[in-house]
Amino acid sequence: MKVSVDEELVRKLESLALISLSPEERREIVKDLSRILDFFNKIDEINLEDVEPMFHPLSQGRLRKDQPRDPLPRDEAIKNAKKKKDGYIIGPSTTGG
Amino acid sequence: MIKDIINDLSSGNLSPEDYVRRSFERIERVEGRVRAFITLRKEEEVLNDVKASLRGKGKLSGVLIAIKDNISTNGIRTTCASKMLEDYVPPYDATVIRRLKEEGAVILGKTNMDEFAMGSTTETSYFGPTRNPWDLTRTPGGSSGGSASAIAAGFVEIALGSDTGGSIRTPASFTSIFGLKPSYGTVSRYGLVAYANSLEQIGPMARNGEDLALLFSIIAGPDDRDATTIDYAPQGGAINIPVKGVRVGILTDLLEASDKAVSSTITGFVDKMVSEGAIAEETKLGLVDYVLPTYYIIAMSEASSNLARYDGVRYGYNSLVEGNWREVYSKNRGEGFGREVKRRILLGSFILSAGYYEQFYIKALKVRRLIRNSVEKLFSKYDILVSPTTPVLPPRIGEVIDDPIKMYAMDVGTVTANLAGVPALSMPAGFYNGLPVGVQLMGRYLSDNFLMGVAIFMEKALGHKGDLANP
Repeated sequence: MKVSVDEELVRKLESLALISLSPEERREIVKDLSRILDFFNKIDEINLEDVEPMFHPLSQGRLRKDQPRDPLPRDEAIKNAKKKKDGYIIGPSTTGG
Repeated sequence: MIKDIINDLSSGNLSPEDYVRRSFERIERVEGRVRAFITLRKEEEVLNDVKASLRGKGKLSGVLIAIKDNISTNGIRTTCASKMLEDYVPPYDATVIRRLKEEGAVILGKTNMDEFAMGSTTETSYFGPTRNPWDLTRTPGGSSGGSASAIAAGFVEIALGSDTGGSIRTPASFTSIFGLKPSYGTVSRYGLVAYANSLEQIGPMARNGEDLALLFSIIAGPDDRDATTIDYAPQGGAINIPVKGVRVGILTDLLEASDKAVSSTITGFVDKMVSEGAIAEETKLGLVDYVLPTYYIIAMSEASSNLARYDGVRYGYNSLVEGNWREVYSKNRGEGFGREVKRRILLGSFILSAGYYEQFYIKALKVRRLIRNSVEKLFSKYDILVSPTTPVLPPRIGEVIDDPIKMYAMDVGTVTANLAGVPALSMPAGFYNGLPVGVQLMGRYLSDNFLMGVAIFMEKALGHKGDLANP
């Protein structure tokens, strides 16, 4: 199925992925997305009736007991944050938007 | 060879000073042209670590190793070759790093790569491209191009890479070294910065097969911190396995998809296997037109989900703009990620969005099952599948980077092993006009040691000497 890619679709994806593009990047990506989706459409040629999707190479994982382990000290754990105060990370406003 | 270095260091034939100096001397001479490292540690620190390590009795006591910059190293910045993580310093070691340190290995530096491992030429790095030590006008392949070049240029004997769709094997092929994409679940991914979980593995890279096997034996094994590791621990590395009687399937569809320069070199390799007694037969991988779209749909979907964590607030690039969370995150991500990474996240978001999830993502997962089934069927007849690692010789810098489809096409031979979870290695098959050509050996699930044993045999049969490039 042919998907038509335009700037409006890319703006929607920017909003889904929380990535803001410059107008120039947006124009470029419209072109790229179109070509790459055409390339993806190739798999439409295969008959996939009665085929189960394969999400992962392993059928089950290794589970450990749901118990806390030695955590990092707080200062260590937040040392890469740019904005912090009194052992807390300062994030942006979560109201609005 | 690692065992010679260890013998020389422990017997006093080689002083730690001379050993470390030798490496730094080469780096001072050629690293300015090769640019294998993003972060190189100070010589003094490295030397101190080597001396300390020599007091222990590890399998890699005092041995220098280069680490791809998407593997977390406590106290050494880990950038993923991205502006997003330019100054990120992990407060913990990846499991593979812990294991290496327990055996006495000493990290020389962190190597360049495609940004977040997204690329096949090491050109999408925020820090600029790494160049191929065999020909500085060409790429070393990617995404583990820095690790491969560090070995080829003689800075180290061993390195770690990661392989999501060929990122260890392609650079190994382009730089005339050995690289293994291990069976899925054999090596812990704890501390590997995630790109596409269901496809990727950390793996060893080395100048020869024996060192490759030694490094794999150290990093492999179950880990409670990675729920996708299995109970498998290779003992003591691979041995030399003669190919007499080994059933080899030659993948003609991948040979036909390759340039003549590559396919003729691979044919020479196969002839050698046959003269050593292998039972070779032409066969086809099948579904060869579909492996790339399938792989890229899955990889981009997983990437868009994995890279959602980078908001610039807890760590990573922060534009320090004021605003609500949507504005701040979007700006941090828009400015922190490079072009290829944004392309893949946006495409992944599209593929996973309502209305397209079934059409692209689920369909690709179904094709993945068909590909896996087809590989399994081939392994009921053959012990090894042989093909070119890549269909082309190392491209020139800038040759494929602006054309995503052309760049993705380089992965046609490698992605199948990731989709199916089976092991595959690349080893030197020879040179064509001075450029390295790698051959890929793919095996059934958990046959990693067998593959490496055959590679060790073929290395000797071919008289491969592991010469250094002199850029």
